[in-house]
Amino acid sequence: MSVRYGLLALLAEAPSHGYQLKSAFEHRTANQWLLNIGQVYTTIQRLEQKGLVESVSAPSPDDDRREYRITDAGRTELESWFASPVVLDEPTRDELTIKVLLATAAGSVDVSGLLQRQRRASIEQLQAYTQRKAAADPERDVAFLILLDALIFRTEAEIRWLDACDARLRALGMTGAPAGATEEGDR
Amino acid sequence: MTTMVQLDGAARWFGAGHTRVVALHPTTLAVAAGELLAVMGPSGSGKTTLLSLVGGLDKPSEGRLVVDGKDVGSMNPKELALLRRRTVGYVFQDLNLLAGLTAAENVAIPLELDGRSVGDARHAALDSLASVGLGELANRFPDDLSGGEQQRVAIARALVGGRPILLADEPTGALDSMTGESVMRLLRRHCDEGGTAILVTHDAAHAAWAHRVVFLRDGRVVDEARSASAPDAAVPGATAADATVSEMAGAPA
Repeated sequence: MSVRYGLLALLAEAPSHGYQLKSAFEHRTANQWLLNIGQVYTTIQRLEQKGLVESVSAPSPDDDRREYRITDAGRTELESWFASPVVLDEPTRDELTIKVLLATAAGSVDVSGLLQRQRRASIEQLQAYTQRKAAADPERDVAFLILLDALIFRTEAEIRWLDACDARLRALGMTGAPAGATEEGDR
Repeated sequence: MTTMVQLDGAARWFGAGHTRVVALHPTTLAVAAGELLAVMGPSGSGKTTLLSLVGGLDKPSEGRLVVDGKDVGSMNPKELALLRRRTVGYVFQDLNLLAGLTAAENVAIPLELDGRSVGDARHAALDSLASVGLGELANRFPDDLSGGEQQRVAIARALVGGRPILLADEPTGALDSMTGESVMRLLRRHCDEGGTAILVTHDAAHAAWAHRVVFLRDGRVVDEARSASAPDAAVPGATAADATVSEMAGAPA
């Protein structure tokens, strides 16, 4: 989905060859979404079948020699993509959520330990992102920083969710707090 | 590597007998010069108790606590006051700046309390404000500063006169994310220049500026996260992060 519209957006700027699209897409997304050239050509073919892009040069059996441009229908499609918010139709089926749900239901799993191991891993991931952010140039690396912010906020959200799971289960006595624990407030 | 803060089985409890409440179980922890340590944990896990001990606001009920080479447990009130004036600086969520004093006057307070002359204290205060990027605003009153600027004044005050250890209790709590980040950059810079800082926070994104994150739970250190060694250049290489990104993008492996 994002690759399709990404290529369309690049073609809206200038007609391009497949390999130019590949490197421009990777550059715009701070080299974080690497494409293989086969994927680029497959995507272009689909766009061409829908009449959203067309070949500029004469048909050639060699993909590398063909240059593409966006059609009017392609521009309309692109404008409506930029104009629409992104809404997830259904929750993503992610492994961590499923793992926590199953561990909670199982009763025999150390949920508190599971949550803490995940929390540690997520914080270490955040530390790695933050180091790269600290080293980035705020003016030159804008695309990279926007992407890093997305990753950082998502990871942070995951940690907040882990904290919320922990608090919820703890309130029900389901996380096996160590004996002798106190409920004393911070001093 | 110099150890600036060392807890050896240090614990803090309140009350006695069956009403005894343990805020911090015997804890062993060392913080090195140049290290930024974050402490995370739910409310009531002992984070603030730990900070109060290191800051000389409180003394351990048992065990040893050494700050900058000095045994805090054996200090008398006068020595504790000296520790707070010369060795550790505090930054809180609520800024505690005095509204009737300018930024420079606020920052100079710890030095004046320590017996330095007014001129001397002002000079050091201006240096400290300049180091947090507020040299131009030294004569403003707190009300004329933004929340982020006020927090930077508080950091300048905590570090004035070259105090090596900075203790920060939710210093970014009241700030928006970009302003909070600028505060974290300051804390990290203090440590990169050889200082030491302990940060208590609920905010994982801010804790991630630390070299090490310890997790407290029910008064015990239960786990810790460590940052991978040296910061890499901004150009991303092949790391675990890339796998995550590829999955999100739905790109083929």
